[in-house]
Amino acid sequence: MTEWLVQIEDLRKEFGNVRALDGVSFDVRAGEWIAIMGPSGSGKTTLINILGGLDMPTSGRAIVDGTDVARLDENGLARFRSEKIGFIFQQFHLVPYLTAIENVMLAQYFHSTTDEAEAREALGRVGLTDRVEHLPGQLSGGEQQRVAVARALINHPKLILADEPTGNLDETNEGIVLKLLRELHVEGHTILMVTHAASIGQMADRRIELAHGRLAAEPSVRRR
Amino acid sequence: MFGRILWKLLRGNRGRLAVALVAVISGAAVVSALLTIEFDISRKLTQEFRLLGPNIVVSGKNIDESVDPHSIQALNANVIPARLSPDSPFTGSSGASVAASAPFYFAVVRVSGTAVIAAGTWLDQLPKLNPTWRIAGNWISSRDDEQQCLIGRKVAQQFEIAPGGEITLNYTRDQARFRVAGVIDSGAAEDNQVFLDLPAAWKLTDNQGFMTLWQLNVDGTGPSIGNYASRLAAALPEYDVHPVRAVTEAEGNLLGRTRLLIVSMVVLILVLTALCVLATMAALAMERRADVGLMKALGGTISRIVGLFVAEVGVLGAVGGLLGCIAGMALAQWMGRRVFGTSITQRWEVFPLTIAMMIGVAMAGALPLRRLGDVRPAVILRGE
Repeated sequence: MTEWLVQIEDLRKEFGNVRALDGVSFDVRAGEWIAIMGPSGSGKTTLINILGGLDMPTSGRAIVDGTDVARLDENGLARFRSEKIGFIFQQFHLVPYLTAIENVMLAQYFHSTTDEAEAREALGRVGLTDRVEHLPGQLSGGEQQRVAVARALINHPKLILADEPTGNLDETNEGIVLKLLRELHVEGHTILMVTHAASIGQMADRRIELAHGRLAAEPSVRRR
Repeated sequence: MFGRILWKLLRGNRGRLAVALVAVISGAAVVSALLTIEFDISRKLTQEFRLLGPNIVVSGKNIDESVDPHSIQALNANVIPARLSPDSPFTGSSGASVAASAPFYFAVVRVSGTAVIAAGTWLDQLPKLNPTWRIAGNWISSRDDEQQCLIGRKVAQQFEIAPGGEITLNYTRDQARFRVAGVIDSGAAEDNQVFLDLPAAWKLTDNQGFMTLWQLNVDGTGPSIGNYASRLAAALPEYDVHPVRAVTEAEGNLLGRTRLLIVSMVVLILVLTALCVLATMAALAMERRADVGLMKALGGTISRIVGLFVAEVGVLGAVGGLLGCIAGMALAQWMGRRVFGTSITQRWEVFPLTIAMMIGVAMAGALPLRRLGDVRPAVILRGE
């Protein structure tokens, strides 16, 4: 029996007169790596935001690990985000006055209790053992994104949502971050990744293409 | 982690927060100084008014309340009992205490043929009854000194007598000579009088045991002095007991006005401090929208996120209040010396009160941070 982690049914989102999502439906199995592709303005980020509980759909359903995101109140959404979602953003979005380890521990703090040793271990896993006490401003873009990856993983989320995770990185750092994502996928994490780059999309199990807020194609299924 | 983030919040925005902190410290300094003075002012005013002289007079019932020397002859020889001594059980009651008291017997005597008022009294009590009187020469410290007297400044001028000289008092056919220990400058009618030991005055005028009135200098506020006078009147129904209302009412009025002024200033300063904190926090709230959006995306609840900022403001108020209180101590001393010419007693209850007020003011000034609860993470993360 297929274990669906994400179920999206006829999802619609309107910003005034603009229809960002127009009846999108698809499912994601636990452990899948999905690449969401499409041109700018096609609704990729809106879709990720709704799945992560950062935005509300106008209609339709987005169910993540059995939770209908649209039915959650403000506190329920906060709990949902802290327990089930790990975000990796294109702009890294680290708190500038907190060190690398404190940025990771911040996610722990909002989830439950902090564990500095565990946060240190997470940073070690992304290759930042010697940068834990550095502020974001003292880290390169690639290092900042690796801190963001460590932060996304620290609470053992059900679903990792990555919005253009390599969009602001040079080739070397892009390779490092993609290697990390590949390792996470091998370990069984479920990843939904927004990307423009076809080469990066090729690494996913499935590519879902959006155009004008609609599902344009699901052209390929790559076998692990 | 809470403390760690809080510390980083304070450090990370120290430039802006320093402005708010200076405002809170300044406000707290002035507020704590004013409150210290307000708490200490009744004691200070009491001291100030006590300098004005006796504030309760006890006399026989059938005399005019003035000390007009022409009516003194009509007095009954009522001796006010020893119950009015400074050791009386009435002292210290109703928040009032007798700082000094003395009986007075007035008689008209002659010096070189000129009529002069002689006041027989306890000479040792005069400087305590009238702290503002100045003296050339010496006060008389013994209550039983029948050889010396004190004379008023005008008497000294009129008869050209200096401290150390002698004065001869005549009463009908009797005569007594006294050494002048000091010349009093009261700035009032007492400059025309001669102050003798009470038994010596009785002996000269052959009027043993006669007392015109009894003066008391009582510590306390206007109401407490009035209350003390009422109790005294109830205890001594055979006499007239009346407070010197000009003094007690003036004290009450001044106290009320001073309190109103201080309370008004405290409220004004609190409002101004809150406005300054508000301006700073409004700017800070705008800067922190990105942080709050990210914290929400990471699963932070509104209460937990805003709690961080509220704690930050609370620390700002508490630290500013504490530092302001310390500065306020010095300010209160300075104001005390400038206004009252004396030091102000530090009132420690002002510390928690001021700190609590500053925390409240900082919280009120932090109202713009409430808007952070409305931040939508998706909008912030899009960079809008």
